[in-house]
Amino acid sequence: MHLTQELELFPDVRVTQLLFKEVKNAAELRQSAVDGKINGALINPTMLVDPFQVLVAANKAVCFQKNGKMKTRALSSEIIFNLSPTNKISDAFKRFGISDGDDCVMVVVVQDKSETPCFDDIVSKVDGCQIPVKDISLLSDHMKIKKLYKVTPQEEKCGTLLDAVVSRMATKDVL
Amino acid sequence: MTVVIGFEGSANKIGVGIIRDGEVLSNPRRTYITPPGQGFLPSDTARHHRAVVLTVLKEALDQAGLQPADIDCVAYTKPGMGAPLVTVALVARTVAQLWGKPLLGVNHCIGHIEMGRLITRANNPTVLYVSGGNTQVIAYSERRYRIFGETIDIAVGNCLDRFARVLKQISNDPSPGYNIEQMAKGSQYVELPYTVKGMDVSFSGILSYIEEAAHRLLTSDQCTAEDLCFSLQWQETLFSMLVEITERAMAHCGSQEVLIVGGVGNLRLQEMMAVMCEERGAKLFATDEFCIDNGAMIAQAGWEMFRSGQVTELEDSWVTQYRTDEVEVTWRP
Amino acid sequence: MAVPEFLSTAELLKQGAEARVYRAQFLGKPAIVKERFPKRYRHSVLDEKLTHRRTVQEVRSILRCRKAGIPAPVVYFVDYTSNCIFMEEILRSTTVRDHIVGAQQSDAGNDVELRLLAQRVGQTLAKMHDEDVIHGDLTTSNMLLRRGPQDKESELVLIDFGLSYISALPEDKGVDLYVLEKAFLSTHPNTELVFEELLKSYAASSKRSPAVIKKLEEVRLRGRKRSMVG
Repeated sequence: MHLTQELELFPDVRVTQLLFKEVKNAAELRQSAVDGKINGALINPTMLVDPFQVLVAANKAVCFQKNGKMKTRALSSEIIFNLSPTNKISDAFKRFGISDGDDCVMVVVVQDKSETPCFDDIVSKVDGCQIPVKDISLLSDHMKIKKLYKVTPQEEKCGTLLDAVVSRMATKDVL
Repeated sequence: MTVVIGFEGSANKIGVGIIRDGEVLSNPRRTYITPPGQGFLPSDTARHHRAVVLTVLKEALDQAGLQPADIDCVAYTKPGMGAPLVTVALVARTVAQLWGKPLLGVNHCIGHIEMGRLITRANNPTVLYVSGGNTQVIAYSERRYRIFGETIDIAVGNCLDRFARVLKQISNDPSPGYNIEQMAKGSQYVELPYTVKGMDVSFSGILSYIEEAAHRLLTSDQCTAEDLCFSLQWQETLFSMLVEITERAMAHCGSQEVLIVGGVGNLRLQEMMAVMCEERGAKLFATDEFCIDNGAMIAQAGWEMFRSGQVTELEDSWVTQYRTDEVEVTWRP
Repeated sequence: MAVPEFLSTAELLKQGAEARVYRAQFLGKPAIVKERFPKRYRHSVLDEKLTHRRTVQEVRSILRCRKAGIPAPVVYFVDYTSNCIFMEEILRSTTVRDHIVGAQQSDAGNDVELRLLAQRVGQTLAKMHDEDVIHGDLTTSNMLLRRGPQDKESELVLIDFGLSYISALPEDKGVDLYVLEKAFLSTHPNTELVFEELLKSYAASSKRSPAVIKKLEEVRLRGRKRSMVG
C-alpha cells in the first residue's frame, strides 16, 4: 500500500508515503504532529498531483538539512514548505498541511536505511482507510492546484500539471 | 622553390618579410610610436610608413641575400587603416610592376593564421585573433576561415588603448597592452561588467564603466596604487571573456587546438588560455614574436595562396575592407 | 557531499565550455544534470559570482518560458552548493543541428522540410522574446526536436539558458538573433535562404518584431563597418 523510495543523492535515506482516506481524527493527528508524536509530515493530499511531487519536496528538504540551509525547524515541516510555490512558511502550512476537518491525509516518513521500516505505529494512529499511494490522483483537486500554483492553460500545452507544479517548487528560492 | 615577399602596414607597424618554402629569410619592421595618452592618427602613421618603407624593403632583401629577380610573388596586406594601407599597397604595386612579378592581396587576419600554423605546426586550431582593431574567434570549415565569435562593438586592443589613454601615464612603447600587463600586479578584486553573448563578447559596457571609475579614482587622488590592481582586474575580466568564447567555440566545433594570434596575445592571456586548455585536454599554440604584425606573415599566406594558383590583377588591386570569411581558402583541404 | 559522489557514478554526456552534462536517474526519472564546475582561468571571486548568477538565470528563464507555453526542460532540483541543475531528459530527441546536417546530406526534398523547421524556430523565438526572455546563446545545438508519439509533429524544445536574462530592449533581442544568425550560418554553410525564412516567420509572429529586426540590421552593419585596423 505504502510507497518507499530511495533518494539517489542520499542512498542512505528512504522516503515512504502512506495515503489515507475517510480519516476521522485529523484534528488529533495534527496535534500529535505538533507535539512531535508522529515522526512524519502530514500533508493535505488534495494539493498533490503525484507521488513524484512529494519526492521532489523530500529530496530538497534532505539536501538542505545536510547543508544546514533549511528554512524551517524540522525535516517534516521543511517538506511541507518545499511543496509550496511561495516562500511564506505560514502559507505553506495553511495550504499543504492538514486542517482539523480534513478527511484524507498523506503521511511522509523520511528514515535512515539502518532503521527498520515500520509503519504500524502510523497506521494505528490514523483512524481511516489506507489506500495505495498511486490513487492520489483520485483525491487531488486540480482546480485548486492550478489556482494556487498559477498554472496557465498555455503552460499545460507544453507539459503536464505535474511538470508545472514541480518546476515552481524547484525554483521558488530564486524567483 | 617559391619565394614570396610580403608587405604589412595596416596599422602602426610597417614590415617587409620574405618567405621561402616555410623558411623566414628576413622580417624587418618599424613601429610608429606616439606619445603616452595619444593614439596613432591615420595621416601621421601613413607619413611614418612612407618615410621608412624603402629602407625596410632594402633591409628585407639584404638580410635575405636576395635580388628582386629571386622573388616569385609580391604580397601585400589588405583590410586595415586606410591611409597607411594605401602607402604600403602603392609600394607593393610599384615593385611588382618594376620587377615584373605577380601581385597578391592577402587578408591580414589570414596572414596571422597562416603564420601561426607555420610556426606552431598547429594543424586545425580554433584561432583567437586579438589585435587593436579585431577580436575574433575563427575556425576553418569548408574552404573558409569562419568567424564563430567576435566582439559586437569595440575590439579588445582598442579597449585597452582607450583605457591606457584614460590613465594617461601608460606608455605606447611597445604597446599599451604590454604596459598595462606590466602594471597589473594588484590583487584586490573589483567587479566589472562581464558580457558574453553566445560566442560573442561586448567590451563597450566595461570600457564606459572603467572610464567613469578611473576618473573617480584619479580625481580623488587615490590613483597610483589603485590603478595597478585596477588594471589587473580589468585584464582578468577582459581576458576571461576571451578565453570563455574561445572555449565555447571549441566546444561548438569539437576542436582540441587553440592558436592565439595578433598583437594583444600577451603572456597573461596565454597563461589563462593554457589553464583552460589543460582542463579540456586541449593544446595551446602561441606565436610569440610573430604575434605582432609583420611582413613575413603576409608573405606566408601569400605563399600558400600563390601556390594554389591565386594572383591579384593590377586593376583589382585596390584597397578594400572585407571580412576574413569572404576569402575562399583554396590551399587547404 | 552527496552530489559529487552521485555525479561520479553518472554518465558524462559532454563537457561544454562551462558545464559538464550528465545523464542519470533522478527520483526515479531519466534526468540530465548540468554541473557548472569552477573555471580555474578566472579569478575565483569572478568565477563564483558568474557561476551562481548563470545557474539562477538558467532556471528562471526556463520557468518563464514554460509558463508561456514554450517547451523547455522541467527543472526538478537545483543544488546551489555544487551549482548543479537537475532537469528532465528530453527523450526521443535530436538537436536541430544534427537534424539540419542530416537533411543537407540526404538531398531528397529536404528544402521544404528545412523551411518548415526554420518557420517553427522563428515562431518559437518570437514567442520567447515576447516574454522578454533573451536566450543569450542561441545555436542550433541548443534547440532540440522531440519526436511526438506516433505521427504527431515533432516539438521544438529550447535548452541551455545559462547566458539568458530578462530584457525588453529591442537591442538585446536583436543581438540574440544576431548571435543565432552567425552560429547558424557558420555551422551550416549555404543555409542563407533557410535563415531568411526563420527571420521572416519571426517577424510575422510578433507584433514587437519590427524594432527588433531593425536593431538586428544595425548590429550586423556594426560588424561590417567595424574598422579592420591592426
